[in-house]
Amino acid sequence: MRRALLLAGLLAALVAPAAAQAPPNWSEDEIRAVGRHGPWPPPAVRDPSNRVSGTPAGIALGEHLFNDPRLSGDGRMSCATCHQAGRDWSDGQPKGIGTVPLDRRTPSLWNVGYGHWFGWDGAGDSLWAQSIRPIVDPREMANAAARVGRLLREDGQLACGYRRAFGVSPGADDEQLLVDAAKALAAFQETLVSPRTAFDDFRDALVGGDRQAMARYGASEQRGLRFFVEAGNCSTCHFGPRFTNGEFGDVGIPFFVRPGEVDSGRLGGLARLFDSPFNLLGRYNDDTTGASARRTRHVQRLHANFGEFRVPGLRQVGRAGAYMHNGSVGTLEEVVRHYSEVSPDRLHSDGTPLVRPLGMSPQQSTDLVAFLRSLDAEPPPRPAPPPLCP
Amino acid sequence: MKLGAAIFTFLFATAAWANCPLDLGRGTGWVVFSAHYMIAFRPDPPRIEVGEPFALLLNVCTKSGRPAELVGINAEMPEHRHGMNYRPGIVPGVDGRYRAEGLVFHMPGRWELSIDVRDGEETERLTHDFIVK
Ligand code: HEC
Ligand code: HEC
Repeated sequence: MRRALLLAGLLAALVAPAAAQAPPNWSEDEIRAVGRHGPWPPPAVRDPSNRVSGTPAGIALGEHLFNDPRLSGDGRMSCATCHQAGRDWSDGQPKGIGTVPLDRRTPSLWNVGYGHWFGWDGAGDSLWAQSIRPIVDPREMANAAARVGRLLREDGQLACGYRRAFGVSPGADDEQLLVDAAKALAAFQETLVSPRTAFDDFRDALVGGDRQAMARYGASEQRGLRFFVEAGNCSTCHFGPRFTNGEFGDVGIPFFVRPGEVDSGRLGGLARLFDSPFNLLGRYNDDTTGASARRTRHVQRLHANFGEFRVPGLRQVGRAGAYMHNGSVGTLEEVVRHYSEVSPDRLHSDGTPLVRPLGMSPQQSTDLVAFLRSLDAEPPPRPAPPPLCP
Repeated sequence: MKLGAAIFTFLFATAAWANCPLDLGRGTGWVVFSAHYMIAFRPDPPRIEVGEPFALLLNVCTKSGRPAELVGINAEMPEHRHGMNYRPGIVPGVDGRYRAEGLVFHMPGRWELSIDVRDGEETERLTHDFIVK
């Protein structure tokens, strides 16, 4: 009897630490919550506001323009200067560097076509409108519509690529050509879909009840994932297959740009959106049904928008060089520490904070980072684009 | 189940509402009512997805049989104390029918829909809870 008890005690002692290491048992609700982060990849993007979206000729023209420094005022900077294929379509810097140092980080362009608001402040309501901004912004490529128009008309290859994509020769209306160039750029960017990851294999196995396949995903990653969808409440904002609901939030990142100057985030973004002749309510929207402009028509400006930034997607997140809209957080470990320790006073909104200090144990932090890293995968090498009109 | 029975009893006991059409097509949707109003509504598309714009088709009826007006529609997440990032627009149709366009539930969880209706002077708010996952 006594020996049995002793044995039981010993077993318990052996089992207890092992239990902390074990993968979780998944409840129905948790399986549903994890399932919402897939399947991956989603269907290819088709943007009704852009008539060359999803067309091979539009995509080809867009890829050439993306890499072409002649799109900039001084002929030295292309989109690819800041959005580099080998750096997950970003630049590895905490903040972008244009003709002058910029105040925000260059976001990765992975999966950008699936969004509905663009830029950290959502000032763009379509991928093509967002692609106009860097071309004409004096702090970035510092170019003008007239020069873009002339380039498309006068360069034989580009003029031919334009004809194939749009079915007509580049015309005399420079602003129209600027918009069309941006639409081709958007068609190309829509094809940048991040590869499947270890998380995706696990998600499919969990939803399909395949225990053997589930076991290939580490126990630490599984606990981190459970924390992400449950106790951490991360999925509320980092929702869906891209791990973003595409909207805006305030997680307590300081928004001072310089002493006395703040980045108002979403609030300023909405002002720019409504000022833009290129928004979806304007004449360049190719969608005649009006359905694609629904968000733009109904979006409202709120006090809480001050200091809100777009919820970033988290696929390929571990491969980034810095985090948050201003690159102020250096590593994923520090991001997790931020969420663990964030002071409610730092939040700029007055509602019940969706973000509160989570007070995570070292084990929980390690697990959460392990999960976030399982959203990364090495993309296959990219072949150079074929010539536009051989 | 109980609630359904209650609604039924209620409906048949209130003859003036007998000609308030509750079926907005497709045989799906909800009914909310107070002492004075009864509102039937359904989303379009039929399933509300987190982050996806949708519309509501509504039918507003009063006990008196007089026409009532839909004056406002909104939604908030009471636990988070925030509303929607979008302001719905209301398009009146015929016979007390309305279409509210441009709603987006941008997070999973409990959303409380509020429907403001008016018959003459007084405005009344009826509410309905959605859990979106
Ligand atoms: C000087 C560096 C730089 C150059 C050149 C540049 N970008 Fe960017 N890009 C940025 C920065 C910084 C942001 C964030 C801007 C903001 O939020 O205000 C950004 C944001 C974007 C976004 C929004 C991404 C998202 O997740 O919402 C898109 C799309 C984009 N750039 C496409 C382009 C295209 C197309 C070009 C070429 C026409 C280009 N960029 C040129 C630095 C650059
Ligand atoms: C209220 C919505 C919200 C919640 C809840 C939330 N986040 Fe975020 N997250 C954001 C926003 C908004 C940003 C960008 C903030 C900025 O740039 O100022 C962000 C940034 C991040 C980043 C940096 C990504 C990048 O590319 O810069 C990571 C990683 C991240 N969150 C992980 C998490 C984890 C893990 C949790 C749960 C512990 C969580 N988030 C909870 C909204 C949220």
